[in-house]
Amino acid sequence: MTMNQTEQSTGLLTAVARGDADAFEALYDRYSSMLYALLLRILGSAEDAQEVLQEAFVKVWTNARMFDEARGSEIAWLISIARSRGIDRLRSRKIRNERENDAGREVSIHVGFTDKSTGADHAIRSEEGTAVRGALAALPEAQRVALELAYFEGFSQSEIAERLGEPLGTIKTRMQLGMKKLRESLRAFQ
Amino acid sequence: MTTHEEFESLAALDAVGAATADEAAALRSHVEECPACANAQAELAEAATLLARGLDPVQPPPEVRERVLASIGQHVDEDEDDDNVVRPFFNRWWWSAAAMLFLALWGWRELAVRAEREKSVTAEAEARHFSEENALLTERNEKLSAQIAAIAAAGTKTIALTGQAVAPSASARVFLEPEARRAIVFFANMPANASDRSYQLWIIRADQPKPQSAGTFDVTQTGKASITVENLPVATEIKGLAVTLEPKGGVEQPSNTNFYVSGGV
Repeated sequence: MTMNQTEQSTGLLTAVARGDADAFEALYDRYSSMLYALLLRILGSAEDAQEVLQEAFVKVWTNARMFDEARGSEIAWLISIARSRGIDRLRSRKIRNERENDAGREVSIHVGFTDKSTGADHAIRSEEGTAVRGALAALPEAQRVALELAYFEGFSQSEIAERLGEPLGTIKTRMQLGMKKLRESLRAFQ
Repeated sequence: MTTHEEFESLAALDAVGAATADEAAALRSHVEECPACANAQAELAEAATLLARGLDPVQPPPEVRERVLASIGQHVDEDEDDDNVVRPFFNRWWWSAAAMLFLALWGWRELAVRAEREKSVTAEAEARHFSEENALLTERNEKLSAQIAAIAAAGTKTIALTGQAVAPSASARVFLEPEARRAIVFFANMPANASDRSYQLWIIRADQPKPQSAGTFDVTQTGKASITVENLPVATEIKGLAVTLEPKGGVEQPSNTNFYVSGGV
């Protein structure tokens, strides 16, 4: 099983674009746990992550017609919407300092939800998760840290350079090399 | 002039949201006309999602699902008890007329909703475009002002870098602004680099055995280039600056000692 198999479009977004509410429900069941994990990582607050998850899915419903399979996968489109909303919330509420103060706060993980994905879906995703974590672990620490500060914390190049005490050029080079490696990993999966 | 390789480097930064407004706008404009760079941008954006996909999934609470479905007008009431539903008697004709009326109203409403959605999407896109244009102009203005201020500032130090054996006629002038922790370097008479190579500027620090990258740049046939180095490590002694030719996009450490220009600070 390769990652590419899970990247193939499920066709759900295309159906959602036609106003198919059942497809929307299936899309939510399939991807909400991954997007919620992303928003928790960005926002560090379950309450904020839940609000933004809701906003993100409403945006998916209203903008599904803008999804173009030729320009990227279904999963990448959904992640970009959720991340963008999450980073906007992070910036607008200036919760970055609050989160640093609340570093020890626990995030509750809810169980008992009826996940309508099939057993095969879980097996694929579990295998995909392992492959992705392997690709991330293969990145040099300095490159991974710089990429994560940009992707999850929404820091600019200058802010990352300031935070890590490195020249801006070093940070740019690290991020570019890191992305090059991730791109190669993605190709290897395919 | 920005090359395709440079746009690919910008796309790498843009994929994780780290490109500046200026860079993102230049990239967006370029990919509209360059399918190869558009493809690279799409691949890098896809690769960036690996950062999210590496996280352990967490189930959101069930009430979020309910709220999401309710907010799109899809409420599933699983507890509906058919026995309690009262069905008044109407004849078949009434039902047909009512159904037709309902469909007509529903269709009209759907058209109106779709038109509103399209208007909203267009307005959003326009607002985003103007906002990005504004950010771009502001950033350009700030950059130019910063460069002029750096060159004219009383505390700015000027350092000359001289051409070495591989490029004896090359030279560079560094305007070092210690208070802003910034340096602007202007290069002249540098040989144009091949499309698969980049020049890389190195900072040689007194407190570190290995040089530190200060960024990459390209030189066209004019032999000229400039680079702004932000967040300079001024707290420690900078012994010198040097430039090597490296694979496109730069490397963590210099791969050779053929300095094109170099000099002490």
